[in-house]
Amino acid sequence: MNNSFIHCFAAEWIKKRRSFAAWLVFAGGFFVPLISILIFLFYPKQLLAMHTSGHFWELLFLKSWQMMAIMLLPMGIVLAVSLITQLEFKNNSWKQLHCTPVPLMSIYFSKLAVLIVMLLQLFLLFNLGIYISAVIPALLNSHIPFPVYAIDPGYLLKENANYFILCLPMVALQFMISLQFKNFLVPVGAGLMLTIGGLIALSWKYIYMIPSSYTALYFLQTKDNATPAHNLQAWSLSWFLIFILLGYWLYISKKEKG
Amino acid sequence: MYCVETRQLSHSFSNHPDVLKEINLQVPKGSIYGFLGPNGAGKTTTLRLLLGLIKKQRGEILLFDQSFQQQRTAILKKIGSMIESPSIYGQLTATENLQLMQHIYQCPKSRISEVLNIVGLTGTGNKKASQFSLGMKQRLSLAIALLHQPSLLILDEPTNGLDPNGIIEIRDLLKKLNEEQGISIIISSHLLAEIEKLVTHVGVISKGNMVFQGTLESLSSRQYLLSKLIIETNDLNRSVEILQHLQLNGTTEQGKIILPIPSKQTIALLNTALVNAGIEVYEMSAVKKDLETIFMELINV
Repeated sequence: MNNSFIHCFAAEWIKKRRSFAAWLVFAGGFFVPLISILIFLFYPKQLLAMHTSGHFWELLFLKSWQMMAIMLLPMGIVLAVSLITQLEFKNNSWKQLHCTPVPLMSIYFSKLAVLIVMLLQLFLLFNLGIYISAVIPALLNSHIPFPVYAIDPGYLLKENANYFILCLPMVALQFMISLQFKNFLVPVGAGLMLTIGGLIALSWKYIYMIPSSYTALYFLQTKDNATPAHNLQAWSLSWFLIFILLGYWLYISKKEKG
Repeated sequence: MYCVETRQLSHSFSNHPDVLKEINLQVPKGSIYGFLGPNGAGKTTTLRLLLGLIKKQRGEILLFDQSFQQQRTAILKKIGSMIESPSIYGQLTATENLQLMQHIYQCPKSRISEVLNIVGLTGTGNKKASQFSLGMKQRLSLAIALLHQPSLLILDEPTNGLDPNGIIEIRDLLKKLNEEQGISIIISSHLLAEIEKLVTHVGVISKGNMVFQGTLESLSSRQYLLSKLIIETNDLNRSVEILQHLQLNGTTEQGKIILPIPSKQTIALLNTALVNAGIEVYEMSAVKKDLETIFMELINV
């Protein structure tokens, strides 16, 4: 399987070229930073307050994640995962793919791997965007100082890793749903319902059971410096494992493969 | 030796029972096998079963003498396929579509330009496949099917949507591939006329039943068996008497005698007998059924 997985991954990577999902990752990575730049240009006091706080990067990071974690990231995942999976339905290419001499396992996991790498891309672009959102206002407004403070790589890595892990079950769940339905609106609708449902249920005592709410929950915890009541990362990884295995079983059990 | 063989292959869908009824498909190695039948006869279902796109229910499928279930990957390495409408990624160029398949099949990169050249798509450059005409999409699908130099091509109505020139080009290409590279080809169609100039063997399926299977010659020989002799004379009744005397059975229709075509010698004998009896023979002609009519009769049984 190893060799065929690598070959399938290379093929899947080509497939996403010029796709809407690829553009969405790019646009999604810079969307919040762009909004931040506009806010900082029109209301420079917000940025100046961060400069005087002594925790510039931490505060900027937290502010940027506020918009991302609660709504945009879960919705972006729903849309991007559905779009990538939809490529096969839209191009009527499941049958061609399933006639290639590779195990079904390689097909399934290479697609999932591409989605995970795309998520990594999004995180990289988002972090780059956060940096740019601090630099550009300083270049355009002489009253705003240039951010010369050292970035704590440990903090950055830890927080990114936490958010990344919390996104994984949503990716696997959306992937599982998207593989089942030819009609693009079904997985997107289901994903959005889960996302909105998760937000509505944020104060529910069993909210830690709903993966679509994890990034929002984590943000609220870190914002308030609250002690986490549940190990969201452990829940997240467990759901991720369950969803990928269930998704794989549903995928190989399909009576018609294109 | 058969490259494809099915034994008692049957299939049902929940909403369509008995789509295939004990199909015994036999595709000789090196042949071009025309798989004919009207729309909904079971052609595509059979081909999808051969490729593992549908889970087999009853019967046996052997490809290259191996069971598909046990040797799926090894078998698919030797098969190029094109089922129904083209399967290509619209946002990619022709070359990119082939590149991704080249990664999967692990064939040399040089094959990409070779197959593009074979199907006549070398000049498409950066044009996205979604902007291709249907004919170009069909060609690209064929290029994908040929990329890894398969020994068996399974093509489901590959000339759908092609103009007459395109049909002739694809036909010539398939013939060339068969003759020069020995590739066995299964090509399905609902039109006999479209493939009769191409195929060596024919299988006719109708309502899930295999109603004919054999060489094109054996289908042609049915032409003779089903041909009629038409005779017109100036005396219908006496002519019928002479026919009966020669132990030939005919029917009369619109003042003419129609009978199953006898041997050439019998026709000569009959003509002599009629002339010797003083009957004026105006017409004595053989009406042969064309292959299309035979095909129509087969599928309408």
